[in-house]
Amino acid sequence: MPAPIIVYPKLLPEFEYFRPSTLDEALELLNKHAGEAAILAGGTDLLVDMRLRIKRPKYVIDIKGIKELHKVEYEEGVGITIGATVTLNELLRNRVIREKYHVLWDAMRQMCDYHLRNRATLIGNICNASPAADSAPALLILNAKVNIASAEGTRTVDIKDFFTWVKKTVLKPNELVTSVFIPEPPKGSKGKYYKVVRSVEDLALVGVAGLVANPKVPSERIVRLAYASVAPTPVRVFEVEELFKQDKPISELIDKAVELVLKRLSPISDVRATKEYRLHMIDIGTRLVLKELLKG
Amino acid sequence: MSRTRTIRLKVNGVERVVEVKPNETLLHVLRDKLHVKSVKAACWRGECGLCTVLMNGEPVKSCLVLAVEADGAEILTVEGLAPFGTLAPIQKSFIEHTAFQCGFCTPAFILTAHYILTKNPDATEEEIKEYLNALICRCTGYKQIIDAIKDAAKYYKK
Repeated sequence: MPAPIIVYPKLLPEFEYFRPSTLDEALELLNKHAGEAAILAGGTDLLVDMRLRIKRPKYVIDIKGIKELHKVEYEEGVGITIGATVTLNELLRNRVIREKYHVLWDAMRQMCDYHLRNRATLIGNICNASPAADSAPALLILNAKVNIASAEGTRTVDIKDFFTWVKKTVLKPNELVTSVFIPEPPKGSKGKYYKVVRSVEDLALVGVAGLVANPKVPSERIVRLAYASVAPTPVRVFEVEELFKQDKPISELIDKAVELVLKRLSPISDVRATKEYRLHMIDIGTRLVLKELLKG
Repeated sequence: MSRTRTIRLKVNGVERVVEVKPNETLLHVLRDKLHVKSVKAACWRGECGLCTVLMNGEPVKSCLVLAVEADGAEILTVEGLAPFGTLAPIQKSFIEHTAFQCGFCTPAFILTAHYILTKNPDATEEEIKEYLNALICRCTGYKQIIDAIKDAAKYYKK
């Protein structure tokens, strides 16, 4: 059956646009219109969903006018805070992120394309909560904390508890994410994001993020793995982490890790790839990432 | 609902004041209200990149920018690269290398090329390709385009 020809209307659905200049003002608007409002930062997901009539918010709250949401602050030994309106290209130009948070940098580098990264934000990527969100596995293994605000107050949620299902998060209708905090990664750690794609600008068929520190000393060895596009939410496979403390040949540990990972993940077949292909690429990607990071 | 508002854009150096509704994108306003026709409308969802403009000096896909978000911005399109009736060096280079067939994607490629070379006239082929990932050409293939960009680099070196 030929694919239907879809004509996208020029105009988006109608909405009222707000551009508050303070966070309080934004939170008040969001509280007042909870359930009918959408937060606009980069717009690279929201405007597409509105164009396709997947979302029809009555109110759009553009948070790019709020100065305090557009900052990156790093404190040595403590961590980095990234505001909600900082774009991916701005973060890719940040030397601290490139050097210390390399797995995140490596993931962002492989997201969409240069022009879109001029608009798209890191926080937008996690709030959209796609299982394929490339930044999510990196944030999971970096133990990121998500800072959330509403008219009622603020709260912080561990990134591992943030995603609840496909495109669903713990955010309530009157809440927005103001920033993420990423603690200082383990000393000397290295990271890599391996993204299986059909073409570079496409979504991940499988995404494997790895972080390793002290590869030579079993008792102090840190190994973390997380995945995109293999389950309803991005997943960190905690089960493998204790394994690598064992004083056994690395190749044996990698075999065991792959086994644990495959048991834990539940990819589906969809338009991009079959379940079987995804499982195969999880195996290959996990080995590739571990071998590179563990060689020290 | 959906109040009309007045925005100011500096398009190719000229101040333009235009009435827009919140649900109009920058692409829509540039093409249909300001008649800047080099900016092409195709996928309307940020995939093809043919609606690329330089907004405050950076390439963005104008189908994913609301016109109201662009209030106060400077917009550059290929019409602004050279005085009317003349061609910029990057445009000449595209002609010399036959870096187009149907021409539909050409404005977006030329603008992106102009951005790459302004930023870094020594960009390597790999770096050029990294930027061109944002754009889709469905007839020429990319070799002639990359050749044209590499060849035009000399005009951007000071």
